[in-house]
Amino acid sequence: MSENVTRRNVLKNLAGIVGGILALPAARTCQAAVRNVFATAQAPKGYDPFKHKWLMALDVDRCIGCGFCVEACKAENSVPQDNFRTWIERYVVTRPKPGSGESRGDTFVDSPDGGIGGFKPSLIPKEDVLKSFFVPKLCNQCENSPCSQVCPVGATFESPDGVVLVDKNYCIGCGFCIQACPYGCRFLNPETHTADKCTLCYHRITRGLRPACVEICPSQARIFGDLKNPIADDPLQRFIENNKTQGLKAHLGTKPRVRYANLDEEVR
Amino acid sequence: MKRFLSMPPQITRLVLLTIAIICAYFTARYLLTPQSFGQYGHYRGAALQEIAGREPFWAGRKTCDTCHGEIVQKLAKAEHKGLSCETCHGPAKAHVDNPEVKLPKPGYGQCVRCHEASPSRPAWIHQVTPAKHYTGQVCTECHVPHQPNEVP
Repeated sequence: MSENVTRRNVLKNLAGIVGGILALPAARTCQAAVRNVFATAQAPKGYDPFKHKWLMALDVDRCIGCGFCVEACKAENSVPQDNFRTWIERYVVTRPKPGSGESRGDTFVDSPDGGIGGFKPSLIPKEDVLKSFFVPKLCNQCENSPCSQVCPVGATFESPDGVVLVDKNYCIGCGFCIQACPYGCRFLNPETHTADKCTLCYHRITRGLRPACVEICPSQARIFGDLKNPIADDPLQRFIENNKTQGLKAHLGTKPRVRYANLDEEVR
Repeated sequence: MKRFLSMPPQITRLVLLTIAIICAYFTARYLLTPQSFGQYGHYRGAALQEIAGREPFWAGRKTCDTCHGEIVQKLAKAEHKGLSCETCHGPAKAHVDNPEVKLPKPGYGQCVRCHEASPSRPAWIHQVTPAKHYTGQVCTECHVPHQPNEVP
């Protein structure tokens, strides 16, 4: 034993002990810093995510392509100029060539500036148009969402009340979710460098308000409600009863929770 | 214990190093995982509160109803019943916080955004071609926006 007590060994042990003592406050500071970054912001009290299940429905036949919803969303959520959490697409289906035996010609889709300021007349001459319609698009809030499955850090998730959300304080901005989304509903926010998408205006619905796009839509093309707490004469319940609805790209198995009525087969 | 001590020193060192690495992993995990992670699932539970903490921008029709109940009721009688006040009048938050702040009057542009004829629009919405429909006149000369069936 005594032969181990050399100057070298004593110094080594001493350095180890001092290092440990010094590392402890550093670790504490580190922990405090982590907690500080994730300090909880002021949020509405008394909201229980397990007592709600939100659903958005869209009636394609009601959309008039005014673009007010896109502007409302941008203002509500400070969405960067070149990105969209919701947008409107204009579908133009042309007439088939006479004698071709086809039911329809080509389909053209455009969405200039996401529909902000409304749509200018289409370049396709009116007499060639078989039919044309507007389709509002937004995050489909999938029940089986590919985006939250690929997130390597758990920054995007399906909340208990049926909304797919992004934790921007936890997101590392790798962009996997943006590639994974089959609906193109996500983008990398150039200001925060994190993934961004529609939250169904989570800060509004938890306060009892409707999402900005639903609030501003002049033609009731967007219907919103709580499946767990239907209100008297609930517009969402009425919509589900009176329409044949479907989700986009059902074959992918993502189980989109945003329902569409009167959808044409061309819409993806 | 005796057997452990009797291990060759290079193996003992390896075992100790492995234990140290495992301990370091768990310590780092304990210190660096945010508190609410795993509260509801594989994410930070507090994120829900943070996302909900944002201030709303649009006041909402319910808010308008508290002071302008008469106009909201009038609106509810005719075609424009589904419209939100802020669709035409613009964001009203400043006016709600301080009623002295007046909102700008909605103009011709607001009417045309929805009612300009377009082949892409569904047939149920009343559409006009502004270039042919009583040019030079203001919409409100003939139409009451709060009650489209009425004649001014």
